[in-house]
Amino acid sequence: MTTPVSVLRLPKGPDPNSRGFDPKSPRFIALCRTSIATSPASEADAEQLPREQHARSVLRESFLRCLLSMANKKIQFHMYERVTVEATFRASDIDVLNFQVSDLHTPIGVQKEALIRCQDVILFTFDA
Amino acid sequence: MATSSSSACKDGKPMMRQGDTGDWIGTFLGHKGAVWGATLNTDATKAATAAADFTAKVWDAVSGDEVLSLAHKHIVKTVTFTQDSNCLLTGGNDKLLRIYDLSNPEAAPQEIAGHSSAIKKALWCNNDKQILSAADDKTIRLWDRSSIEEVKTLTFDTSVSSMEYVADGEILVITYGRTVAFYNALSLDLIKTVEAPAPINSASLHPEKDFFVAGGEDFKLYKFDYSTKEELESYKGHFGPVHCVRFSPDGELYASGSEDGTLRLWQTAVGKTYGLWKCVLPEDLGAENAEQLYTTTPEI
Repeated sequence: MTTPVSVLRLPKGPDPNSRGFDPKSPRFIALCRTSIATSPASEADAEQLPREQHARSVLRESFLRCLLSMANKKIQFHMYERVTVEATFRASDIDVLNFQVSDLHTPIGVQKEALIRCQDVILFTFDA
Repeated sequence: MATSSSSACKDGKPMMRQGDTGDWIGTFLGHKGAVWGATLNTDATKAATAAADFTAKVWDAVSGDEVLSLAHKHIVKTVTFTQDSNCLLTGGNDKLLRIYDLSNPEAAPQEIAGHSSAIKKALWCNNDKQILSAADDKTIRLWDRSSIEEVKTLTFDTSVSSMEYVADGEILVITYGRTVAFYNALSLDLIKTVEAPAPINSASLHPEKDFFVAGGEDFKLYKFDYSTKEELESYKGHFGPVHCVRFSPDGELYASGSEDGTLRLWQTAVGKTYGLWKCVLPEDLGAENAEQLYTTTPEI
C-alpha cells in the first residue's frame, strides 16, 4: 500500500476487569427490554392483560402525539439539580434518548443548537 | 448504520464487537472449552455459540447473559439461527444436525442423521425451508426441513474448508484446497470456480457480488473480481493462517480472523471515511487539526 490510510484511533479492546455489556452504554439503553414490565397482576390474570396492554398503548400514543405537538415550540425542561432551561424543540431520536433543540437558554448563554439527554430531564412543560 | 460482530475463539471466550469500529462491547463468559462457532441473530439481540465443552449456548447479546445451554453428545462445531430467531440449528462431531425450537427448549430437538463424519458447518437456506451441511466426509448435503430428507449431495475429493451462504441470489461459497467455488444454493449446480495462489480456508462474496475476498494458509487476504475471476489485490497483515473472512452486511468492510490471535478489519474502499477510518484530503494535511489524524500506528 503506497499511502497509509488515517485512522482516528485503534479499536477499543476488552476491559480486563469486566465482561462488558455496559448498562450505561447507548447500545444497551436503546436495545434493552422496557424498564416497565407487565404488572404481576396482569401476568396472572388473562382477562386483565389485554386491558393493561390497551392502557399502555393509549399512554404511548398520547406521548408520541405530545412529541409531535411540541415541534418548533418553546419548551421548559426541568432537570436535575433544580436546573430549568428553555429551548425550541425540534426532534427526538427514535429511542427517546436525546432531544434535538434550538436556542437553548442556559445560565452561561444561549446555545444555537444542542442535544438534551433525556435521562437528565425530569419533566418538561409548554403551551400547546 | 450500526452493526455488530461476534467472534469465536479457542480460548473459550467469544466476544461481541461494534461492527463498524471493532470496539469491544462484551465477552460471553460460560463455555468451558474452545468455541468453534459463533453467530448473531438478524437484529443482533441474541448470540449463539458452539463449543468443545459439548454444548451450544444462546446468549442475550444486549446484557451478555447466558440464556440457554443445549447439551450435546460431542464437540459442537456450528450453530445458526433462523431469520425469525425461533429455531437454532447445530452440528458437530457426533455427525448429527439438530434443530431446536427456542420457544420450547426443553423439548427434544429434531435430529437429522446422514453424514458419516463430523459436521463442520450447517446453515439455513431458501428462506429457512432447507438446510445445508458440510462435513469431514467430504460432502455437502442439502436437506428439506419439513421432511428431514436429503435432497441432494455434493461430493468432493478433498475436505471442504468453509461454506458460506448469500441469501440474496441464493449463492453458496465453498472453499477447498486452493479453490473458491460458487454454487447455486437451491440446485447445488456449480456457477464457477476460482483458483487462488495458496490453500484457502475461507471466502466471502461482497453483497453487490462484484468481488470476493479469500484468506488461507499463506497469511494473506486476496481480493478477486467475481465476474472476471481476476486477482485484484492481495494484502499482508496477519502473522498466521487466516481461518475466517466475512464481509459486513453493508459491504463497507470485511473482517478476517487468524491463528495469530487477531481479528482484523479491512476497508472495502480504501481511503473512504467509515468507522475509525478517516478520509484525508491533501488540503487537510496542512490544517490545524492535522495532529488528530494518525498516519502511523499510534502507541498502544
